[in-house]
Amino acid sequence: MKLGVLVSDFRNMDDTLSRLKADKLGIILVSNGVYHAKVKEGGKQSPILEKSPHLYALAEDLQTRGFAETDIDSRVKAITYNDLVDLIFNEYEKVIWV
Amino acid sequence: MATKKFAFVVKSLPYKTEASRLALTHAIASQTVEIYLEDGDNVEPVLAFIGDGVLNCLRNQKAMNTYGVTSLEQHIKNSLLLDLKVLICKEDVEKFGISEDALIMDAEDIGGETRANIVAFSEIMKEMDSSNHLLFF
Amino acid sequence: MGKLTIGVFSSLVGSLSLDFAVKLSEAAIKKGHKVDFWVSGNATMLSKKGQRAFKDYSALEKKLQELFATGNFQATACEACAEARGYRKEDTMDGWKRHSMDWYLASCFSADKVLHIGGD
Repeated sequence: MKLGVLVSDFRNMDDTLSRLKADKLGIILVSNGVYHAKVKEGGKQSPILEKSPHLYALAEDLQTRGFAETDIDSRVKAITYNDLVDLIFNEYEKVIWV
Repeated sequence: MATKKFAFVVKSLPYKTEASRLALTHAIASQTVEIYLEDGDNVEPVLAFIGDGVLNCLRNQKAMNTYGVTSLEQHIKNSLLLDLKVLICKEDVEKFGISEDALIMDAEDIGGETRANIVAFSEIMKEMDSSNHLLFF
Repeated sequence: MGKLTIGVFSSLVGSLSLDFAVKLSEAAIKKGHKVDFWVSGNATMLSKKGQRAFKDYSALEKKLQELFATGNFQATACEACAEARGYRKEDTMDGWKRHSMDWYLASCFSADKVLHIGGD
């Protein structure tokens, strides 16, 4: 299964995410989920960034929260809503929102 | 003619939000979806409780007595009465120290014959894998 | 081109999840896809007409009317959820339908992709 997970929150994500298994797991940070791309708690990057090599963050939600697209973890690709539509239709069989 | 499987995955606690209640009412709505579909088409729902969501499955809920609203217990029993597949995550049940006796495993008191199943998360993952669409609540 | 069904359960005011879903709908339609949009629970607030647009609150009526005008967007509110909140049929914004929850499942049945946004 190719599974795209839209991570919409900063807390209480790991319990679900850590157990999901997929042949291809995409993590798309949206809403408050975009904090994972930037905030280092206790100096450490979010463990969510270790879950998959396919990491995205919605640029508008980054900008909304005061972050520049160029100022996030280098593993995370900033995307537009257009890009998100393409990910949903072309890259993943199923998408979920957590 | 086709049957499509939808997995309704409940990870939310009951009552403070409407999420788990809506998971159950939407899953139960699969029983009447045929009116919108072509002849022979149907939806096969699977209800899976994971994480905090397993706490929806505790017995002896008294929401009707206390708040005058249908309990999640009643909705889960209705799901079993309608023969929906109900899965409860074993690892999460164990994490919370809940015994099977404390969980809603059947709906015998309202005439149901289908039982809930406590299964490993890997089994729930297989159900998700074989589902056409995933709906997380 | 495909069909995307989006279900949203979050309130219009307080989460921006509906704003997200409407923006995603707009992007999908611009790319030639069709979008079915279902609101249930607190999200039924989106279907109520006559909301005043203040800068402190999300206001999506104008954008929704633009989406309806494309002909590739249909939006439906959970009737029971709306009635429970006092939103009557006559209170419903132009373009919206109201149905029971099985409508959403039927829409998911014929969708290429489903994005279900749960939550409060």
